[in-house]
Amino acid sequence: MAERKLIEIRIDGNLCVGSGMCVSAYPDKFAFQPDGHARYVATVLDEAAAHEAEELCPVSAISLVYAGETS
Amino acid sequence: MTLAAVDVNDDLLDDEIVQNPSPYYAMLREQHPCYWNERWRGWVLSRYEDVYAAMHSPKFLADRITPWYETRLTAQERERYKTTYEALHSFVVFTDPPDHTRLRRIFGRAFTPKAVQTMKAITEEMVHLHLDQWEPGKTVDLNADLAYPLPANVISTIIGARREDLDRLQHWAEAITTLLLAGVGDDTRLDRAQAALVEFKAYLKVLYDERIDKPQNDMMSWLMEVQRSDPLLTEDDVLHSCIILLNAGHETTQTLICNTLTTLLELPDELNFLRENPQSMKTAMEEGLRFNGPLKGTIRLAGEDMQLHGKTMRKGDRVLLLMGAANRDPAKFQEPERFIPTRDPNPHLSFSHGIHFCLGAPLARMEAEMVFNEMLRRFPKMEVKNPIRWEPRILGRSIAAPIHIELG
Repeated sequence: MAERKLIEIRIDGNLCVGSGMCVSAYPDKFAFQPDGHARYVATVLDEAAAHEAEELCPVSAISLVYAGETS
Repeated sequence: MTLAAVDVNDDLLDDEIVQNPSPYYAMLREQHPCYWNERWRGWVLSRYEDVYAAMHSPKFLADRITPWYETRLTAQERERYKTTYEALHSFVVFTDPPDHTRLRRIFGRAFTPKAVQTMKAITEEMVHLHLDQWEPGKTVDLNADLAYPLPANVISTIIGARREDLDRLQHWAEAITTLLLAGVGDDTRLDRAQAALVEFKAYLKVLYDERIDKPQNDMMSWLMEVQRSDPLLTEDDVLHSCIILLNAGHETTQTLICNTLTTLLELPDELNFLRENPQSMKTAMEEGLRFNGPLKGTIRLAGEDMQLHGKTMRKGDRVLLLMGAANRDPAKFQEPERFIPTRDPNPHLSFSHGIHFCLGAPLARMEAEMVFNEMLRRFPKMEVKNPIRWEPRILGRSIAAPIHIELG
């Protein structure tokens, strides 16, 4: 299988409830925004962290977008 | 005579408000968005944006147990109820960061959507177990025959309790829930809760010990796995977390089933639509949560002096966040007084929001969706046979039992 390149760690604003599971697991990568939602803030995309955050999220708001995938 | 002084009814248990809170909520939202309720002795917030902001703000504290323990009890009582305090104080719903952050980690693996998939099998078995006893022509009690036992049995089984112990667990859970939802009241209530906590914990400790060497595919083992890899988490944290899971997963889901089904049974068009479109049950259930969610409100304490809508909340003041009112705020929802089964998105606050967002939400959603689809599939006709009476509660919104439903 070809290497897939992660291009975005997306948080759906309609789903995110600001539970902070991602923020508490990776405080240097995810942060709360003024509207209460979380956002990926690190400059480098950490695929392992994003995967774990995706699993931890109680509302499945986090998704990993790879190059070549349409969404 | 000023209008405000006479207009607002401070009795949150007034039958008119309990039976139909909507007009009262609208009046609060429009005229008194930050209202001091003298009888309840606290502030009441009712607008969506205010309730939402409070849920996301570190200035509104969730620990209302410590002030109660430290200021309302005598030294002697504090000694006597130390066990209760310690247990309640490690319930994630009553803690603030940094305790909350530490405790919440325990549940990191417990309610991931993936874990919920494994709970699906248990729920499916339980739903069939209950509904197989029903047949067209029969009149059942929605509450006693399904809504009460189903979530309790599901969560107990998920935690890892043995089926023959389920009655005992329910008895303990009830004693604790009474304390949490109805308040301290008298000493017997506290004593009963404390006795239940002690027995409950001893029971869970046996399950815990059994799993030290032999982990199972159950919640207790999942929590223990997290504890093993996190030096800040203790055995007590795991045991107390199982207790809160049992309590939280119990009455709220029961109420969600009763409230949503009875609401739907009054809307034949929507019900028919859902029967033909079971895939829409997801959004319909969210709408049930918004429309008549199991909790009307939740309590916070002001962490500092704050100004809101020209009023001053003082540090330590109680604040009632009325999700029930926020969920029908026309500033946020179009046609808020209408039940729209396909409403999407539906940013209701019934599971709370922010760091206290209900981690059991995926389980509750899955349970309710499964129950409703299965009931609609099996019974083309259902009719509520007795009048719906809402129970007089400040925080909870639940229907007085029994709820007789004739199956057709």
